Amino acid sequence: MSHEAVLHGHEGHDDHAHHEHHETFLSKYVFSMDHKMIAKQFLITGMVWAVLGGLMSVLFRLQLGYPEASFPFLESILGKWAKGGQITPEAYYALVTTHGTVLVFFVLTAGLSGTFANFLIPLQIGARDMASPFMNMLSYWFFFAASIVMLSSMFVETGPFSGGWTAYPPLSALGDASPGSKSGMDLWIIAMALFVVSSLLGGLNYIATILNMRTKGMSMTRLPLTIWALFFTAVLGVLSFPVLLSGFILLIFDRNFGTSFYLSDIFVNGVGALSNEGGSAILYQHLFWFLGHPEVYIILLPAMGMVSEIMSVNSRKPIFGYMAMLGSLFAIAVLAFLVWAHHMFVTGLNPFLGSVFVLLTLLIAVPSAIKVFNWLTTLWRGNIRFTPGMLFAIGFVSLFISGGLTGIWLGNAALDIHLHDTYFVIAHFHIVMGVASMFGMFAGVYHWFPKMYGRYMNNSLAYIHFWVTMAGAYMIFWPMHYEGLAGMPRRYFDYSIWESFKQFADLNRFISTVAMIVFATQLLFLMNFFYSIFKGRKVTTQNPWQANTLEWTTPIRPGHGNWPGEIPEVHRWPYDYGKDGVDFIPQDVPVGENETSH
Amino acid sequence: MSQDTHAEHGDPIAEIKKVTIILSALTIIELILGYWMIGMENAGLRLAVKGSIVILMMAKAFYIVAYFMHLKHEAKNLIMTIVVPLALFIWFITAFLSDGNSFKNLRNTFDPHYKAQSTIKVESKEHGTHHATEEAPAEKK
Amino acid sequence: MSNVTTASTTEAKLWGGGKSPFNVEYGKVMMWYFLMSDAFTFGAFLIAYGTVRFSTNGWPDPNAVFKSYPFAGEGTNAPLVFVSIMTFILIISSVTMVLAVHAGKMMDKKGVVRNMIFTIIGGIAFLSCQAWEWNHLHSEGAWWGMNPFMNGDGTASTSNFTNFFFTITGFHGFHVFSGVVINIIMLIMTLLNKFEDRGHYLMIEKAGLYWHFVDLVWVFVFTCFYLL
Repeated sequence: MSHEAVLHGHEGHDDHAHHEHHETFLSKYVFSMDHKMIAKQFLITGMVWAVLGGLMSVLFRLQLGYPEASFPFLESILGKWAKGGQITPEAYYALVTTHGTVLVFFVLTAGLSGTFANFLIPLQIGARDMASPFMNMLSYWFFFAASIVMLSSMFVETGPFSGGWTAYPPLSALGDASPGSKSGMDLWIIAMALFVVSSLLGGLNYIATILNMRTKGMSMTRLPLTIWALFFTAVLGVLSFPVLLSGFILLIFDRNFGTSFYLSDIFVNGVGALSNEGGSAILYQHLFWFLGHPEVYIILLPAMGMVSEIMSVNSRKPIFGYMAMLGSLFAIAVLAFLVWAHHMFVTGLNPFLGSVFVLLTLLIAVPSAIKVFNWLTTLWRGNIRFTPGMLFAIGFVSLFISGGLTGIWLGNAALDIHLHDTYFVIAHFHIVMGVASMFGMFAGVYHWFPKMYGRYMNNSLAYIHFWVTMAGAYMIFWPMHYEGLAGMPRRYFDYSIWESFKQFADLNRFISTVAMIVFATQLLFLMNFFYSIFKGRKVTTQNPWQANTLEWTTPIRPGHGNWPGEIPEVHRWPYDYGKDGVDFIPQDVPVGENETSH
Repeated sequence: MSQDTHAEHGDPIAEIKKVTIILSALTIIELILGYWMIGMENAGLRLAVKGSIVILMMAKAFYIVAYFMHLKHEAKNLIMTIVVPLALFIWFITAFLSDGNSFKNLRNTFDPHYKAQSTIKVESKEHGTHHATEEAPAEKK
Repeated sequence: MSNVTTASTTEAKLWGGGKSPFNVEYGKVMMWYFLMSDAFTFGAFLIAYGTVRFSTNGWPDPNAVFKSYPFAGEGTNAPLVFVSIMTFILIISSVTMVLAVHAGKMMDKKGVVRNMIFTIIGGIAFLSCQAWEWNHLHSEGAWWGMNPFMNGDGTASTSNFTNFFFTITGFHGFHVFSGVVINIIMLIMTLLNKFEDRGHYLMIEKAGLYWHFVDLVWVFVFTCFYLL
């Protein structure tokens, strides 16, 4: 084989399509190297974690809504963590911490970009599979191992880590700092290290695939915005997760080998002063947020990309400002790396440095606004089809606007000093990052479900799911802004003991009630999902949404290798909707004689 | 057999030899500067020498990446995708180090105990192997 | 009609697709981006070291710490000598690696084998030097959490000097070790004619990238710990 043959990415994969007949159950469903199956594995594991993480939030909302009440059923579930039917403070902190870790990393990173990067990249760029299917499989199994370790940390004697999902030292660095800082924290770090490996394996694969494996004619500027978003997500992950890994390695040394990277001048009641000197807890925060801030965009960008795609398809209009969308994606990806210390305005950060971070942070508003305006203009005068996917996409934009605006407040150091660590912050990041990305994920699942399983999901259930979740999200998080402005701090076990927060008792009960209703509605979605896999209405046309992108040129249930024959050649960008009076022109249709260029 | 891009630059072996000599020379200059710095009292000059060592380090890194790792002869787009993200290090380093420095200044200003502790001289150890300050000036030629 | 012509001329400039835009195979692209991410791992370590050093009042003088070499007597004062030997070992092993890659491009199996052996020897020599240095420092009472050295100005030093030294050189040494293992695997594959049969030595090139990266990291570690 010559050099030239090696350079042609597809050569090695051409025979995939013929391999299907001798696949066993194990190689097809468990140790699969088919990117579509790996995507489904990521999705379903992510769903399991979403249910667990959601359940945790219901439990601690129960405590916040009814601080004095006792629920005997809690003791039967949680045992000693809920003596007498009331969650103990330790259990409360463990629940909050695990809820954060699980939702941020396992659901919205692995579950979101793991699912859709794996599923959409080869299908939309016209490749048989990922650049390295084996690494792709490893990526899932590392994630699975991380999941198992994280899950097992919940069953150790002293409980899971309970110092917040950011794992700041000294709570994370000193084993005796809290019950959760013992073996719970060890398992937490191991799980996160495995997770970093998983995301690196995945990210490198996504980048190499997008760059090297595109079909003929698929130039970079003809890529669907989904792919661009997933590309930047992968780049962010590959560059920022290693920094977290370094931070964790130093943390492990602090925990186990008597170093003091993050520890200095610590006095423990009853023990006296510790000998650790010279470290800096702020250093950990810097290292953590150097990942932590890009992480926000690792979560948000895939949702943005999918929303752009779904909006264009369901408005029957080209996306407004493709290049502007691309440029703003790039700008957000770059700025994501420059703004991490805006999470640290109250750490005693150098005020001059802080003001630079304020400036850079507020700059993010520009590309974000460009994206919002482009989404709105895409909808403008479109022939909108309100499919469930489209509804969730519109919901995403709504949440992104309202959450983004409070981000501008928090980005100002002067305001942040007042609002830091209050419920205002909780409301902000849950709306803009948590719920919005969740909406992106729902939009993606509803939109690509027919491609994943060859069946439709039930629309009526989907509409109920959307409206309850949409209204519920605002009812849960909107009041939190007021609580935060009134100074209610986050991460407290019981607010009823302060006179000044007594006024919020009813509001907290309201939030908790809505949270439970919304959680129950998510179970409706899961029912719909799993029912539809087996019993949903069958897809009968190749292209049910009349979309232009390449995944809809594959058979209804594509096998390993995606296209039974030749990979289609691409002749145009993916957004030729309503062009020259034609409703839609797929990417593999050659440019006609009298056609205007876009 | 080999990619056509290789044809453009002359004899690879000559290039390898040239880069080896450059790298060795840069290392030797670094070591000379390092020796010169031992026991140097003038803080400003010390800083200047350290600055030059950092510049030499960057030059060495450039030669390794450009010639040994062959990046200079790759496609321009590949070079850009490698070099542009590395520019993130500029702000990464600036922000971290300046905040570290500010942390020190804060502690020296507002924590008199810390300040006092860090100015107490310790007696040199018995072993006789670590008299840093006493022996270093004697080493200077 | 004019629109069509402009469309097709821009078409010609666009990459046609179906092959790599960078003229390299995907494995090399992956290797490059892996090294980028690894650069951020090491970068984070070294920057953390710099941050702690900037936030501490005094710091030990490296010339007072690293001043011995094997078989030297007690109280030897030869700063920079041993580490310059280590540095040259790594540079030379990097050169032999380039020669191996070049021989691979020429399909010269003998050249590949010879230069790979030199590279492996260089890697093992470097690791041995490091093992000696760690052992020597340990015998002086230095380890994670223990720092027998005092600051350059004679004040008491925190343990972070040794903490960072052992962590970062250890992490680099781990990379050298994995590099040696990779190189040995490559050597065995060469001897088994794996690459000869494949018709190209691209694997050697990727192993070479990794090895040069290890050398590159040493350039930074060497400067940050021994010179500055």
